[in-house]
Amino acid sequence: MRALKLLIAAMLVMVLSGCWDNIDINHRVLPVVMGVSKHDGNYLIYLQIPEQVQNSTQIKIVKGTGSTINHAVDLISANLEDRVDLLHIKVIVLDKKYAEEGLEDTISDFMRGRDVSPKTLVTICDEDMDAFFSSVRKKMGPKGTTLYDFFEKNAGWNPQIALTRVWEVYRSIHSYTRDVAIPIIRSGDTTVVQHVGSAVIKEGRMVSQISSEETLLFNAFQRESTQGKIEVMNHASVLVIGNSLAVHTRMDGGNPVLRSKLKLKVVIMETKDHPTSDMIMKELNESLTHQFNQMFAKLQESEADILGIGQYFRRQIPRSELKEWRTTFYPKLKLELQVQTIIENTGFLELK
Amino acid sequence: MDKSLHVIFMYGLTQLGFIFFFYSGDIIASTSEGHWLAIIIGLVLNGAMVWLYMKGLGYFPQQDIISIYTGLGKGAAVLFLLPLIFFLFITNIITIRAFSEAITLIFLANTPLWAIMALIIIISGYIALNGVESIFRTGVLLAILFLPVILFTICISFQNVDFRYFFPIMDEKLTFLTKPPYWHSFSAFAGSFLFLGFIQPYVAYRPRIVMITVAALVPFYFISVYVPLFTFGQSTASTFKFPFIVLMSTIHINWLMFDRITMFLLLCLVTFTMLFISMVLWKLSQVLHRCLPKVKSSYFVIVIAAVNFIGCLFITNWDEIQSLIMWNTMLRFYVLVGIPCSIWLIGIRSRRMIKDEGA
Repeated sequence: MRALKLLIAAMLVMVLSGCWDNIDINHRVLPVVMGVSKHDGNYLIYLQIPEQVQNSTQIKIVKGTGSTINHAVDLISANLEDRVDLLHIKVIVLDKKYAEEGLEDTISDFMRGRDVSPKTLVTICDEDMDAFFSSVRKKMGPKGTTLYDFFEKNAGWNPQIALTRVWEVYRSIHSYTRDVAIPIIRSGDTTVVQHVGSAVIKEGRMVSQISSEETLLFNAFQRESTQGKIEVMNHASVLVIGNSLAVHTRMDGGNPVLRSKLKLKVVIMETKDHPTSDMIMKELNESLTHQFNQMFAKLQESEADILGIGQYFRRQIPRSELKEWRTTFYPKLKLELQVQTIIENTGFLELK
Repeated sequence: MDKSLHVIFMYGLTQLGFIFFFYSGDIIASTSEGHWLAIIIGLVLNGAMVWLYMKGLGYFPQQDIISIYTGLGKGAAVLFLLPLIFFLFITNIITIRAFSEAITLIFLANTPLWAIMALIIIISGYIALNGVESIFRTGVLLAILFLPVILFTICISFQNVDFRYFFPIMDEKLTFLTKPPYWHSFSAFAGSFLFLGFIQPYVAYRPRIVMITVAALVPFYFISVYVPLFTFGQSTASTFKFPFIVLMSTIHINWLMFDRITMFLLLCLVTFTMLFISMVLWKLSQVLHRCLPKVKSSYFVIVIAAVNFIGCLFITNWDEIQSLIMWNTMLRFYVLVGIPCSIWLIGIRSRRMIKDEGA
């Protein structure tokens, strides 16, 4: 009887293990980067696959067309000797033209499916995808994770790069008061990629573009750390070592007003023509305020709230009206930004 | 011997499984602002009912609710216990089916549903076969193994929160009261506390500690609803079937060697749910055993498990689960409100009768 029970238990292990139709790891290909582009209603998919060739990794780029993303991936999978598994995709590169048409379907499908993780990074490619991927393949190191490391916070990320994940784009499609910026890249002359700026996404559609300098301010406004950025002016260049933001909101007879104060802690790196610290502070404040106002005017015109300002007004505006935030309130918004610089130290030398 | 610890672990774990899976989705679907009010109404009702239930049970030391109802006479017993049997049966089918669906959705894409359902029901059935003590022992073991993991995942779930999504605060019209998803949200409460009335002859516990557990679980209800809201916002969160599970998959931690933290949460919750299912199986077997005392109660467990499994096979898609949950609404409120109140009233009546006899 005991033996019979054991036998049954052993058989159950076989049946109940959950390993059903499993494909072993050596029969899977795990792409790290996926490129998505659209031509004449058909999706063009690029997959960057690291491949083991005798103790070293090589990079393979495969390409497929299909009427949907899954269709294209399926066709690639059928043509390859192994099964394509999208579980480990770290970066999704979108064609700029396609982003301008609208990403809603693609992003929703990523969220719906279990394959692509919602925390995958999203970027936009500013040049022809064919050219981009062939250049990437030529220049990329043997690890094949260059594109991913470029955005990784503990690796190659810089404060002037926007960092946006699939779920954040999805949120921008549905949220009343929140849009996102997606970094724009192209292949570099000597480096694998070159950062161009950020795309302004409104409800899943690219509507405008900001430069990398402006992205830094955008990140500072998101309370993202801008540590390590070097700001160059006429008289000096400084290293940003800390930033904080204070925000005050009020409604002025139906018009939203936002007063904010951006505090930057800096260290002086280089000087020209013996400026005083007051001069440096004044120059920095003025140039950043000017830059910010310019960017904000551009954003307001495109009705994309990537700074998430609507979030601050959730308390003042009832939900039924919040729906029209982007069209009714946001264009009327008055934003007063005050930049305050604190020079923490001037290095080993005194300023005269 | 006092086994309050076993009892509160059992109660807490079975609640957690439901909270993070279904409760958050139901509440977010039922209202678009002022979720806290919807949560509080549910919690107050639950707290009052658990208190009333234990108060009523206190009048009958060493008796379970089956003997309390049969003490009223055969007709009354059938009247009270028959809906209970139906409720437990349907709840079990829904739970098994919905959780296996969630498992296929999230990670076992290629495994057929029947295999997952068989896994869940065989393990739960095995625990139930060994009697109520083994269910409680399993509960303690699971609590030691998995509660730290659950607490860890809850802590890191706050990674992307934006507290400004808390506003607007009030839904003035209380529209959620009439929405079916709100009624469904009560399935997190109903059924979880029933076992307190079944275990009295076997396991002793102190009602005060159970009430403390009820209070200690309150933050989890708020976390399960509000953390997804704070991360995604209402209009995005309402597009998800399981908001908290999606939330977990957006968490990004560099230093953790595991990529998908969802898996931890999910597997813990699945074990908690297996515990719940085994408890329901045991409760059903107890009721049926009392009707037909000649048959051993372990046979009932096997038969009920088999019938549940077949019932699950008949459900073909998610919409059918939803409509089954809908049909269960009446029974759910009967169990949530009717049973505690009736036990309490019977308790008061019996005490009066004893007093009258004494006088």
